Amino acid sequence: MLYIVDDEEVLRDALGWLAQSRQIKNQSFASAAAFLELVHGGIPFSEEGDCLLLDVRMPEMNGIALFDILSAQQLTQRLPVIFLTGHGDVPMAVDALKRGAFDFVEKPFNDNNLMDRVQQAMTASLKASAAFDVQKRLQSLSQREREVLDLILLGRMNKQIADDLGISMRTVEVHRSNIFEKMQIKSAVELAGLLK
Amino acid sequence: MPIPDQIPSPSKRYPLTRFGLVSWPWLLPIVLVLLFVAVLLWLPWQAKKLEANERQEQLIADTLWVEQALQFQFTRNQESLSLIAHDFIHIANDQTQNTQLLERLRLFVSSNHEIAQALIFDRRQQILGSSLLKLDQPAQIEVLRQTYLQLNKLQFLSPKPQCLPHPDPKQIDGMICRFPVVQDGEVAGNVFVNYRLQVLLDETVPWWFAQENELRLLNFDEKVVAKRAAGGFGRNVYTHNRALEFPQLNFTLHTNSIKTEPKLLSNLLVVSVVILSLGLVWSLIALWRDINRRLRAEGALRKEAAFRAAMENSLVTGLRARDMEGRLTYVNPSFCKMIGVPADELVGRLPPMPYWAPEATETYQERFAQILTGTVQPEAYETIYQRANGERFPVLIHESALVDEHGKQTGWMSSILDVSELKRAEELSRQHEEKMHANARLATMGEMASMLAHELNQPLAAISSYTTGALNILEQPNLEPMHLRLALEKARDQAQRAGQVIKSVHEFVRKRETARAPLALDELISNLLPLVELQAHSAQVKVQVEVQAHLPMVAGDRVLLEQVILNLSRNAIEAMAQNPPELRHLKIVVSQIHSNESDKFSTQSRVQISVQDRGHGINDEVAQQLFSPFFSTKSSGMGMGLNICRTAVEFHGGQLQHRPHPQGGTIFEFSLAAITGEAKDLQGNDSQEK
Repeated sequence: MLYIVDDEEVLRDALGWLAQSRQIKNQSFASAAAFLELVHGGIPFSEEGDCLLLDVRMPEMNGIALFDILSAQQLTQRLPVIFLTGHGDVPMAVDALKRGAFDFVEKPFNDNNLMDRVQQAMTASLKASAAFDVQKRLQSLSQREREVLDLILLGRMNKQIADDLGISMRTVEVHRSNIFEKMQIKSAVELAGLLK
Repeated sequence: MPIPDQIPSPSKRYPLTRFGLVSWPWLLPIVLVLLFVAVLLWLPWQAKKLEANERQEQLIADTLWVEQALQFQFTRNQESLSLIAHDFIHIANDQTQNTQLLERLRLFVSSNHEIAQALIFDRRQQILGSSLLKLDQPAQIEVLRQTYLQLNKLQFLSPKPQCLPHPDPKQIDGMICRFPVVQDGEVAGNVFVNYRLQVLLDETVPWWFAQENELRLLNFDEKVVAKRAAGGFGRNVYTHNRALEFPQLNFTLHTNSIKTEPKLLSNLLVVSVVILSLGLVWSLIALWRDINRRLRAEGALRKEAAFRAAMENSLVTGLRARDMEGRLTYVNPSFCKMIGVPADELVGRLPPMPYWAPEATETYQERFAQILTGTVQPEAYETIYQRANGERFPVLIHESALVDEHGKQTGWMSSILDVSELKRAEELSRQHEEKMHANARLATMGEMASMLAHELNQPLAAISSYTTGALNILEQPNLEPMHLRLALEKARDQAQRAGQVIKSVHEFVRKRETARAPLALDELISNLLPLVELQAHSAQVKVQVEVQAHLPMVAGDRVLLEQVILNLSRNAIEAMAQNPPELRHLKIVVSQIHSNESDKFSTQSRVQISVQDRGHGINDEVAQQLFSPFFSTKSSGMGMGLNICRTAVEFHGGQLQHRPHPQGGTIFEFSLAAITGEAKDLQGNDSQEK
């Protein structure tokens, strides 16, 4: 999903039309505040990935301020931000880039190049979402389960793991099935792929 | 009055004063004067003493002389009477001879008044003769004989003479003496003489002695027997006693001078000495006070002079004094330092002065002439001086009259302030301000441009997006023309919006054209002149303005035209920065030109304005780029000035042209159309020169 935040209605409309012509689902917001409402409700991260096209110069809250809020909530990985800037805003945009924005595009822009960058951002957001998921699953493991997991990744058998940890074979098996369940996998090979 | 520390106080300068060594030269004359006075006082005292001694001695000598005279008279009487007595005794029985002898005796006694009576006795104590009585009165003679015998009975036969006081106390000055007449070693008779001492004194002592002294004869009882005081009583100042010896009887001769002691103060010498001494002391004191006052005045003067010298030396202002002919009579160190010429090369000089810059000589002469006629203004004026190394610097001069103690003017005093730093600061601040203004204008311009860009960006971006989208859709197989139509309509709307923005900008600019108004160029130039001169003055450029008389009015924007002329003259001034000062001439010429010179405006008369400099000129390479935006030959230039000038001139329907100056340098000129029929008549303002 491409989110467009711009105070200029014409530009929102034109950008929406352009995204549509490239089959990119999009949603427009007239102000940073309107978009923040969505954020507070929890962003429905989509299957195709997400991207935020953000105008720097806006009345009330400008683009940089919105970016700072998103950045503070560690959302900029899963929701990459591409700034739209006029001539005077470039230094601000560059600064934002250094702090984790995906890109900035100076107006007037080459429209299809912009859409290319949007698609790249969406792909990147998908990857970031996956990594975020794995991290979240790992955090759901208990201390003992983490130890067992590490040994599984080293390729040890259940028996060896039981010896190493000084626990019974049966217990190892319980941990193992818990780990598989929590990490939503079916085999050790899958686990290795996930934690690559 | 604050005295600078470096001036030594008199006591520091003459440390001997502290130890009183300076006062000893004072002690010597004082001691000498006191000695002199003492001697002068002692001398009359001594003289008085000498005089007193002399008088005393004189008195003693006179007294001795009187005593001798008395003794001599007594002795002579004794001898004469002895002779007469001897003859009596010798011829005792001859009656006639006896009578003759008696006559001799009487004669002798009568010629010697001091002798009251003389008697001659023979050896039988019979009276042989007497000076008073005749011998034919025996009874009286016997009484007399008895009296004398009683007086002297014991010594009648003594061979020694003898004197006795008169037995009768009524005759206290009386004295009776007996002289024995010795014949063949025996006393043959006696002579008795009855003296009257008073008469003896009167007869024997000369009148001049008696006039000066009182004489007294005292007997052994200290009783006055006789006295003589013709000149008055004695003063008991000079006295002398002398024993007067008669046989077996002593008297005392007492002399007492009637002279008083010599008076000290009545002495003219003493008086004059005292007066002179007093005068001397007084004059010495007066002299001492006068010298003290002089010393004090001298000290004060020295202090004042040191104070003044310190003040002059610490001044950064140059000071210069001139006499009524303009000759330099004084310069302070600061002035010498300012112009780099030592004082001894300046003092006494008449104009032209070494610090006069050749190009400003006229100004100095004019000013100098004003000063000589005394019509100089009291306010300060500014000019340029030249240092010894040829460097020019602006100075601010303030003149005031030098008046002596009688109120007569003797010259002029000027204070000269080197204002080059001030000018530099002024120039810097002016440049700074100009740059700030330019920056502010640029910022405004930038802001406007940015706003314009933003305004245009939005529709352009939208147009771009719509068309790109449309193109994207065109590539898709299931094409929906209605979709495209909507997008293209939106794109057209945005294009029109952009067009509107540009149109409004253009309209904004066109509004300025209405600011044209009829202008008198001579007025505009004279208003502008102070600004041009401000720049010119700091760059030491001479400005000359020639405005033709009876110029027609022109239509124009005053502010723009002022900017053009200011810009051109500033360029001209800056172009001459490398010239030697005497070749820095800026000339602004305003004149009417006539139509047939130019085909384009053949029906109209025009006014031409030309700004001429004598600078480095414009070479071909620069000339080609001269009006390109942002081209500048100046390091701090923006490359906008000439461009703006050209635009402004073209806005007025003229053309900004430049050509080389025939004498070197560049001429920038442009012409403006005159407003026909409205020629403004100007009186007496043919040309201004400065």
